[in-house]
Amino acid sequence: MASILISSSEKYSGKSSLCTGIGIILQNKGYSVGYMKPIGNMLVDVNGVLSDEDAEQMRRVFDLKDDRNHITPILLTDNLAEDALAGVEKHFDKTLADAFSEVSKDKDVVLIEGTGGIGGGAMYGLSDPQVSSILGTKMLLVTRYDSVYAVDRILCDIELIHDPDMLAGIILNEVDESQMTYVCELVVPFLKDKGIKVVGVLPKDSTLRSVPISEIVEDLHAEVLAGSEHLEELVEHYLVGAMEVNSAIKYFRRNPGSVVITGGDRADIQMAAIEARVKCLVLTGNLQPSGAVLGSADEAGIPVVLVRGDTMSTIGRMEGLIGHARFRKEHKLDRMVELIENNVDVDGLLSIIGL
Amino acid sequence: MLEKLFEPTSVAVIGASRTKGKVGRAVLDNLIESYKGEIIPINPKADEILGLRCYPTILDAPNAAELAVVVLPAAMVPDALEKCGLADVSNVVVISAGFKESGIEGAKLERRCADIVRKYGMRMVGPNCLGIIDTGSGLNASFAASMAKKGNIAMMSQSGAICTATLDWADARGVGFSKFISLGNKADLSENDFLLEMADDDSTSVIAAYLEGVKDGPKFMEIAREVSHKKPIVVVKSGRTAVGSRAVSSHTGTLAGSDEAYNAAFAQSGVMRADSVEQMLDYIRAFSSQPVPDGKNIAIVTNAGGLGILTADACHYAGLSLSSFDESTIDRLREMLSPAANFYNPVDVLGDAHSDIYGYALETILDDPNVDGIIVLTSPQAMTDVKSIAEVVAEKAVASRKPILCSFVGGTRIEEGEDILDQNHIPNFAFPERAVSSMAALCNYGVIRKRVHLEPENINADKESVSSILKKARSEKRHTLGLESFDILKAYGIPTVGTSNVKTLQEAIDASEEMGYPVVMKVLSSDISHKTDVGGVRIGLKDRDDVERAYHTMMSDVRRYIPNAVISGVQIQKMVTGGKEVIIGMNRDVQFGPLLMFGLGGTYVEVLKDVSFSVAPIGKDISRKMLSSIKTYPILTGVRGESPSDINSIVDTLCKVSQLVMDFSEILEFEINPLMVLPEGQGCVAMDIRLTLGSE
Repeated sequence: MASILISSSEKYSGKSSLCTGIGIILQNKGYSVGYMKPIGNMLVDVNGVLSDEDAEQMRRVFDLKDDRNHITPILLTDNLAEDALAGVEKHFDKTLADAFSEVSKDKDVVLIEGTGGIGGGAMYGLSDPQVSSILGTKMLLVTRYDSVYAVDRILCDIELIHDPDMLAGIILNEVDESQMTYVCELVVPFLKDKGIKVVGVLPKDSTLRSVPISEIVEDLHAEVLAGSEHLEELVEHYLVGAMEVNSAIKYFRRNPGSVVITGGDRADIQMAAIEARVKCLVLTGNLQPSGAVLGSADEAGIPVVLVRGDTMSTIGRMEGLIGHARFRKEHKLDRMVELIENNVDVDGLLSIIGL
Repeated sequence: MLEKLFEPTSVAVIGASRTKGKVGRAVLDNLIESYKGEIIPINPKADEILGLRCYPTILDAPNAAELAVVVLPAAMVPDALEKCGLADVSNVVVISAGFKESGIEGAKLERRCADIVRKYGMRMVGPNCLGIIDTGSGLNASFAASMAKKGNIAMMSQSGAICTATLDWADARGVGFSKFISLGNKADLSENDFLLEMADDDSTSVIAAYLEGVKDGPKFMEIAREVSHKKPIVVVKSGRTAVGSRAVSSHTGTLAGSDEAYNAAFAQSGVMRADSVEQMLDYIRAFSSQPVPDGKNIAIVTNAGGLGILTADACHYAGLSLSSFDESTIDRLREMLSPAANFYNPVDVLGDAHSDIYGYALETILDDPNVDGIIVLTSPQAMTDVKSIAEVVAEKAVASRKPILCSFVGGTRIEEGEDILDQNHIPNFAFPERAVSSMAALCNYGVIRKRVHLEPENINADKESVSSILKKARSEKRHTLGLESFDILKAYGIPTVGTSNVKTLQEAIDASEEMGYPVVMKVLSSDISHKTDVGGVRIGLKDRDDVERAYHTMMSDVRRYIPNAVISGVQIQKMVTGGKEVIIGMNRDVQFGPLLMFGLGGTYVEVLKDVSFSVAPIGKDISRKMLSSIKTYPILTGVRGESPSDINSIVDTLCKVSQLVMDFSEILEFEINPLMVLPEGQGCVAMDIRLTLGSE
């Protein structure tokens, strides 16, 4: 039985996407794939049982039958933090090892997803490298390449992994098209010289960053007022309409494919957004817009949704939605698999972990 | 074209009612009151209403109606329109509300109505309107409280309330109308159709409109430009401010549009904009009764010095001149007026002046060829016989071919005089400033109707290369283009500063050496829109060392401000000195299309807002006007011994930009900033551009 822990420099670097993508590829190759997220940090209530959001997603995608508390044996609750600070001994290494041996049963390979950033969980003795050594598994490090400073981050992270043999390799994620040559010709060879194997360089992809409007509606508990037949359209950005109307129209035009967040009483901004043909209007403050505006939105085929929260809190929710490629939709899974197949040395990775 | 709408031989009222207080009854009452043709009430629940035979549907009526007025609940309107179509009705007026103004279902109903009307080749006024009135045919197909008096003013309004208020005001002032149209939601017929109709309507001599937006801006301009040669068009356009435009959007589900665009579009197409309904009514009173003057030289006749001075000041602000009288005029005035009177303009006939003195002064001044129009002022002093003065003014005004406007200032003591002026259709204004503003409108129209529209010259341009630059950007999903797209300007023959786009420091040095110092360095990045703000511009680099230091500090600065910006390199530009910076811009207005902007450049341009606007396409005439209408224009013509700038080259560039943005409708925003203008004869060069591309 082979296994690998997928870790990242920072949260939102693409661990879940990669886990899913790699898992699907392995399943397609005929392997039976197991999954574990040892430390759950995104708590959800599943029919009275606490679980982790990522773990739930993977249970669905890989059709896993394992117990929830085997997939995610430790949940980061407030109590846990207090106990750790008070020095209460919890024997996490045993809990982990037991769960791992359960999850590994009848599996060819187990994918283990890290918690947040690489150092997350260190206060419990459960940072990614620590988990990795408890379970005796190698690590795959994912880093979002936003600028050359990502190289600093990688080198720093690797310092945390004491045994160089524990690192299976790294993946540079979300590399801008214009930086591709630079990364491939300078960054990758540099890392190789340092003894770090780059197993993949993934380009930035707009499909992965986008979300369907229906997901926004669901997440914001919004009421759909117009354009309900266009809820499967994908949006890539959100904009906030809080300026004067003539500036708004310019701003909206420069960012097509956006969802615009504005107050329900800002009819001028709403019309500017409709005129600029944005993808969706999110109206805040539970303020019903005018009928005339809704009529125009409907004519233009632009969904208008109403939320209870104010603009600031809606922005907060939206931050968490757009750009964090969560996989509720098939098309994203397909795209991720395609990206990995084209840009990651999957076979090389498999041989490193002994598969 | 729309005769059958205004002069139908028969009218059906679909939704006619016998119940007092219902719209279906009010419309029927109004029709019965003054309309001479056949009236056909339609109501399935009645056999007869007000003595008229009633039919269940329009298809049951033995005679076809040319016009149908629909006053049914919104949901029943599409079916009624289908039946109108089958019954061969030519035009419909849909008074019913509950359409686009009310929400999604209403908007759908409205689209259905428009489709049905189109299918049968009918035309529709409304929905959601007050109705229409034609005083010539006696048609009052509205639920207005009263019928308009006969007159020569055609008025249309996007607000039913302003219709009723105007009708009531006009009734009190004795002002009459030829046609009165409540536009409603403009699902089919709009201001454009009615402008065309009124242009050829013999009973109309002035057109007034209250609008919250126009349906098709370019078409509006094209039509208004033609019509304004024949008849004055006065428009109140509301929704000028941020709060006002929010109200327009909420009320009508449209964008109010930028006020600059409306001002530019109206000015270019000869439409006179009134700032308020009061001003519109002032103007149309003047136009409906007074001739249009040949010039802007105005004489003032007053019995009070203070009023005369106020009026003189107002004339100055309104762009009118005070006439300088012929010597003979002054001599003639001297003969009859008291020696203490003022014989020059403003002419003060003094407080004790009787009507014969007013009459003499008016006659004398009207004879003076230097006078194009007269403003008569009267203050009710103890000795003033307001009534007979009004009679004399009326007598002279009726006989004159020059406009005479009055301002009898006061309250109860001037009422009698005011009535006489009203009866004789001499506009009297409560205060002189309104008389002056109306006189200015008359004078401005004198210029408008003589104006010649020049079609812009065609400019040879390499459209294909622009097309391929834009296509490439779109395929790369880039929506904002900058320096890297200089070739767009070159394709239109707009001179650009010598530039070289490079990727590395070494290339930057090589390019600078080849170009010759001093040079300017600018960062190239589609993620940065304001380069200066992030340290992305370095000027006056004199040698290799300067270039090297500038490169390093620029990269460091830019990365500090925008850490994630993707930098594709830098642009090395030849440093241009000794010129003045101007800006040429374009923003595609939602109503009128490409709105060109011109202004002097520099750091304070956004604060001073000293810019002018025009709707493209423009030729050299309008382009030149754009330049001369900014306050700081003298800086370009040369102040304090400075040599004048090459104004012709700016005019050329404006025309070229106008054509570029007309040729490529996908360019939503465009800006050359700065355009460096060199001294006369040396041309201008574009230093930087920025443009936004539309998604499709």
